[in-house]
Amino acid sequence: MATRKARLLMGVLFSLVLVAGACAEEQPVEPGDGETESPALEFTTIQEGVLQVGSCLDYPPFESVEGGDEVGFDVDLIEEMASRLGLEVEWVTADFDTIFTAVAGGEFDAVAAASTITEEREQIVDFSEPYYNSRQALVVNTEETPDIAGVADVGEGDIIGVQRGTTGKAWAEDNLVPQGAEIRTFQGAPAAFQDLAAGGVTAVVNDEPSSAEIITELPGLEIVEAIDTDEKYGFAFSPENPELTEAMNQVLAEVIADGTYQEIFQRYFPGVEVPPEFQPS
Amino acid sequence: MWEGSMAVTGQPDSQLDRLESTAERRLARSAAMILGVGIASIVLALGGTLVSTLANGIVPYQRLVEGLRSTPTEVILDVGLGLGAVAIALGFAMYRRMPTKRSREQSIAGAVLGIQAVVVGLIILVFRTFGDPDLFIKLFFNAGILEGHLGAFVRGALNTIILAVTGELGGIIVGLLLAMLAMSKRAVVRAPARVYINFFRGTPLIWQLSVFYFGFAIGLGIRPAIDVGPIQLSSAYTIAVIVFILNTGAYAAEVFRAGIQSIERGQLEAARSLGMSYPQAMRYAVIPQAVRRVIPPLMNEFVILIKDTSLVLILGLATGELELYTTAREGYSDTFNASFYTAAAIGYLAITLPSIWAVNRLERRLRSGLVGVGA
Repeated sequence: MATRKARLLMGVLFSLVLVAGACAEEQPVEPGDGETESPALEFTTIQEGVLQVGSCLDYPPFESVEGGDEVGFDVDLIEEMASRLGLEVEWVTADFDTIFTAVAGGEFDAVAAASTITEEREQIVDFSEPYYNSRQALVVNTEETPDIAGVADVGEGDIIGVQRGTTGKAWAEDNLVPQGAEIRTFQGAPAAFQDLAAGGVTAVVNDEPSSAEIITELPGLEIVEAIDTDEKYGFAFSPENPELTEAMNQVLAEVIADGTYQEIFQRYFPGVEVPPEFQPS
Repeated sequence: MWEGSMAVTGQPDSQLDRLESTAERRLARSAAMILGVGIASIVLALGGTLVSTLANGIVPYQRLVEGLRSTPTEVILDVGLGLGAVAIALGFAMYRRMPTKRSREQSIAGAVLGIQAVVVGLIILVFRTFGDPDLFIKLFFNAGILEGHLGAFVRGALNTIILAVTGELGGIIVGLLLAMLAMSKRAVVRAPARVYINFFRGTPLIWQLSVFYFGFAIGLGIRPAIDVGPIQLSSAYTIAVIVFILNTGAYAAEVFRAGIQSIERGQLEAARSLGMSYPQAMRYAVIPQAVRRVIPPLMNEFVILIKDTSLVLILGLATGELELYTTAREGYSDTFNASFYTAAAIGYLAITLPSIWAVNRLERRLRSGLVGVGA
C-alpha cells in the first residue's frame, strides 16, 4: 500500500515538473529610463532583462573573444543598442550554418554574426535594417601561389576554401566552380584561413572586412581582389518576435543619428570613411 | 520451448482434437478470427494509411498532404480504428473462456494488435485533424527539395562506407598487434601499448580528429594527401581514415585481449603439452577459438564507426568527399529545410540495418554447435 501511494505521488510530481519545464518564461519588458527620448517600446525576450545573442565569436573585427571578453564591431554595436532598451547582452556561441534556424526556433533572441541579408534567410528570420555594407574578398597565399592576381586567374585544379552556410560559399559555387575550381567547405572561417596559410587550399572567399583582419595574424596571405556583391549585414531575429525587431530598428536609427555608430565604426575601421547612410544627421 | 509463442502460428491445433464439445471447437475457432481482425486493423491503420498517403505521389510535397487528407485515407483509417476497437473488445472479453492454450494466446494477440492499431490510428488522426501536416511535411518530407541532390547523397553514403570500412579493417590489424604487445610478459613491452590504448580510448574521437588535422596537417604542414592515378584524396580525408584506424585499433585491441584471455588456460596447456611452442599454441589452438568470441564486438564497433564518420564535419572536406551527414548539413544550410536530415537518416539506416542483420547471422553461424546460455 505504502509503495503504491509513494509511486502515485512520484508520478504526479514528475508530471508537474514536466509541465512546468515545458512552459517558457516570457514576460514583457519595459525599457529602463535611459538616455533615449523614444516612446516606451513593448517587446519580449526569452529571459526578462536579457538579450540573448547568438554568434560565432571567431570573426574579427566583427565578433571575437579577446582575453575572455567579447569584442568587435557587432559586439559593441548591439551592446549599445541593447543597453538603450534596458537589456543586458548574453552571448551564446553557435555554428554559423545553423544559426538562422536556431534564432527562428527561439534558441536565442538575436543573431549578431556579420550576417548578410539574403532572400533565403529572409524566409525564416526577420532582419533588422542594414547596419554595414560589405563585399567578398578573394584571399590568396602569395608565397605559395604568386601567380593568382584575381578572380580570372582561378581555374582548373584550384581549391577554394569557404565557410559552410555563407554567401561567400554561394558566390564561389556560382562563379568559380564554372571556371574549373573545386570547393572545400569548413565549419568556421579561421580553419579555412589556416589551411590557406599552410598551402592546403589555393584561395579563400570570405567577407572582405573580416578577411582583412584575419590575414594580419597569418603570414603570406593577401587580398588580391575585392568582389562587389552589394551585401549588407543585418541582425537577425525570430519572425515570431516582430516587436523586438521593431524596437531594435528604432534604437539602431538613434545610434546612427546621434553619432555613436560613427564612433564605433572608427574604432574598428580606422581610416575608412563612414558610408553616407550611416553618418550622423 | 514455451508453448505460447507457438500458439499463434498457423499449425493445426492438436489440443483441439481432444475436445468433445462442438461449442468448444467453435469458440476456439473464433479466436483465430479475433486474431485476424487484430491483424487487419493494424495493417489498415498503419499500412493502409501509409500506402494511401503515398499513392497520391511524393513530389511535390503538397501531394503527400493531399494524400494524407484525402477521403480514401480517412476511410481506411476509420475502418482500421473500428476493427481495432472490435478486436480489443472481443479479445479481452473472450480470452478467459477459450478452451485451449493456443486459442487463448490468439485471442490476446488479436486484442493487443487492436490496441496498437488504435494507438497508431489515433495519433495519425489527431495529427491529421489538429496538427499542421502541411508545415511538418514541407520541412521534413519534402522530396521535391531533395531532387537533384540524389547523386550527392549516394556519394555521401559511399564515403561513409569507405571511411567506416577502411577504419575498421585497419583498426583490426592495428588492434591485433597492440593486443599481442599488451599481453606480453615483459612490462616494458606492455607499457607503451597500454599508454596508446588508454590515450585513444580516453580522448574523444572529435578531439583526435581536430588535433590530427588542425595540429599536424595545418599546423605542422604534414599533409598526407593522395594523388595516385584515379585516386585523389585530400589530406583531410586521409587524416580522417588514419585517425579512425588508430582509434578503432585501440578499441579492437581491448576486444582481442579480452577475447584471447577468455579462452581457458587448459587449452593453452593442452597445446603446449602436445609439444607446440607458445606462438604455435596461440596460432593453432587459442586464436581460432578467440576469433569466434571477438567477431561480434568487432562488428558492433563497426556499426558504431559508421555513425562516428559523421564527425569529419569539423574537417575541411572537398565536395566529392562529403559523407552522409555533411551532405545533409550542407543541403540544410542552403535551404533551411530539414528533409535533408530525413534523407540522411534513411541513408544511415540503409547502411547500418543490413550490417546489424549480417552481424546477427554471422554470430548465429559462429555459435552453431556451441551450447551457451542463450541456446
